[in-house]
Amino acid sequence: MAGGGGGDGDPEFQIAPMIDVLLVLLIFFMSITSSQVLKTEKLPLPVAPNALKRDIMRNEAIVNVKWDAAREKATYVLEGKNYSDLKQVAEQLKALKKQNASTPVKGPNPEYRVVIRGDREANALTINQVLNAAGEAGIADVSFAVYNREGE
Amino acid sequence: MRRLVVDPNEGTVGFQIAPMIDVVFVIMLFFMVMAGAVKVERELNCQLPGTVETTKEVPFADEQVVQITARGDVLLNEEPLADAGDKVLQKLRDVLRRVKANCDAAKTPAVVVIASEPKAKHGRTMEVLDALAEVGITSVSFNVTEEE
Repeated sequence: MAGGGGGDGDPEFQIAPMIDVLLVLLIFFMSITSSQVLKTEKLPLPVAPNALKRDIMRNEAIVNVKWDAAREKATYVLEGKNYSDLKQVAEQLKALKKQNASTPVKGPNPEYRVVIRGDREANALTINQVLNAAGEAGIADVSFAVYNREGE
Repeated sequence: MRRLVVDPNEGTVGFQIAPMIDVVFVIMLFFMVMAGAVKVERELNCQLPGTVETTKEVPFADEQVVQITARGDVLLNEEPLADAGDKVLQKLRDVLRRVKANCDAAKTPAVVVIASEPKAKHGRTMEVLDALAEVGITSVSFNVTEEE
């Protein structure tokens, strides 16, 4: 009867599987590092370590709030277009919500939402006005984009 | 006179696996270190208030008002808990944790209003919202006080 194991002498060190494992690890670390580079607009967002991981499976509109500290004035960027008037932002949000009603949802939550990516130096009044614009557009689900930590 | 014979195969080296593994190790170490220090974008979610049916019973809850001044001072029910330089807001977190525990014991919702001055910074509001997220208070509303 054939016995298991044994063999003749010590097994050799196998280099090929080791290289496979190394390359898989390398690709894993490369992908999680580079996925952070693919960000849309570069903004100094506030820091909140207790914030949740972003749900990327939602249908959403992203409103970037750029803050000009010298003029104390905000510019709103929605779908790549710059707006200075929030009424236009509200109208655009309404149109986007309507447009997305017919789009199939990728994740389990079908509600359309607004993500506010606000400059940390922007004032509270500006951000509140964006909340009002979202309310005017009939969107109740709002998220604030933050970073998990300081640094580059 | 003797002629020098050159062998074309002499001097060529086969594929060396050891230096390749060294290089892969170094690259992997670099990405491992980078993965630990990477800055990730996250979200703080909230629901805007909607309409409530008048026939529905609305529970009354004690509201805690967190005020944020233009300078960055944070006050809870008009009691100063953090000045502009305090980024951690530890005192606020401790008090809010007690408020949450009391509300849970009384089976009432913990409701917080963040009342910011118009020129208060968005970053400061998010720091307060982060403190609320940590202690588990989910009923939050935003208010911007009128300028005097």
